Amino acid sequence: MIYLDYSATTPVNDSVLDTFVNVTKNFIGNPNSLHKLGVEAKQLIDASTNQISELLNISPKEIIYTSGASEANNTAIKGICYRYKNRGKHIITTKLEHSSVIATLQYLQADGYDIDFVKTDIYGRVDLDDLKSLIRDDTILVTIASVNSEVGVIQPIEEIGKLLKNYPKIYFHSDMTQSIGKININIENVDLISFSAQKIYGLKGIGCLIKKEKIVLDALIHGGKSTTIYRSGTPAVGLIASLAKSLRLALENLNQKYDYVSSLNKYLRDKISKNNNIHINSNKYSIPHILNISILGIKPETILHALEEKNIFISTQTACASKSDSSIAVYEVTKNEEYSKYSIRISLSHLTKKEDLDTFYDVLDNTIKELNKLNESH
Amino acid sequence: MKVIKITAIWCSACLIMNKVWNKILEKMDIETISLDVDLDEDLVSKYEINDVLPVFIFIKNDKEIMRLVGEHSEEELLKIIKEVGD
Repeated sequence: MIYLDYSATTPVNDSVLDTFVNVTKNFIGNPNSLHKLGVEAKQLIDASTNQISELLNISPKEIIYTSGASEANNTAIKGICYRYKNRGKHIITTKLEHSSVIATLQYLQADGYDIDFVKTDIYGRVDLDDLKSLIRDDTILVTIASVNSEVGVIQPIEEIGKLLKNYPKIYFHSDMTQSIGKININIENVDLISFSAQKIYGLKGIGCLIKKEKIVLDALIHGGKSTTIYRSGTPAVGLIASLAKSLRLALENLNQKYDYVSSLNKYLRDKISKNNNIHINSNKYSIPHILNISILGIKPETILHALEEKNIFISTQTACASKSDSSIAVYEVTKNEEYSKYSIRISLSHLTKKEDLDTFYDVLDNTIKELNKLNESH
Repeated sequence: MKVIKITAIWCSACLIMNKVWNKILEKMDIETISLDVDLDEDLVSKYEINDVLPVFIFIKNDKEIMRLVGEHSEEELLKIIKEVGD
């Protein structure tokens, strides 16, 4: 099997899975219980939280565990908007956001919130002047993903954060699901950050919202205090310990892994750029882990299934937006309808082997030739 | 004239067009039936839409007279409404 869909989800690391199994078996108490078993479970959660906070250079109090990045995005956006609605109801975002951000914003729109989309440049990067011009007295939130999941464009998060520091009543949220554990990123001026374990070789069902200490949110899930008042429910000890482990492993040798993935990206790009049937949509600001391409005239699903038959796995659009047949993100970056209609995403990892890319490319090239031949004969 | 507006909650073009459509409704009175592709699947299926959202279906005297898909500016939409309304 050749798996090239790491941006959709990653296979779980064996030692992360071992941590989950061991903790789940051996720490059976409810961390909220006062007896010894509860205390032991609570201590393990605290140790995991401390580890995460050290790895990300934040306070342990800033960590809210969620079921994943979608819940973290919902918690951050709705939490800010409901809490500070008396200050204003204006939100600024981009067209490059994950569906869990767009859907949350549309839900709020029905409740009277006004949403503006900031312009992006020819590379799909936020236009800082336009962002500044959109800011109003009633703006309460700016939500911009650090890396787009389809084309991989990295946003100037540090510059956006610095700009927004001039507006103390505006909170800055960033969905960092596609960047944490893949690239170095400065989170100093970001108020709220979402990410999940399943994108960094952890388990599905656990994510995290980092919320700067001074910020108060309206909670979405009410109940007991749990690990935080912002998200009630019995803490998932095993998942929390596994998240800490997956984050530690993801950040280990990060630069080395980044360089390796960059070399893979360049290798594949060089091959693909010689093929006249393929257009590369990812650009110089894209993370090397994502290579978005378009094969004009051939439906992305046809390519996906043809590759699937050879046990090669790529993706068309992000899984959460699979009902629409053209990629909004690819259009936003390329401004070309054809490229957005025929786009596919190849996502790479430090686990990807160069020879897998050779096989992938040969199969893709043959598939295109065969499908084009079929088209011509019809 | 009435309009069937078909959107999806995860669609950014729908979010943009909701705002545009609300501005139009501030200026003119148009009966609007809003449907969600996921929540109102049965109702939406009879309009045989393709995959591009949002969809605005203009109905006059119980007959579809036009449909618009995707993003449009407020000016564009006002012009179209005037044309089909005449």
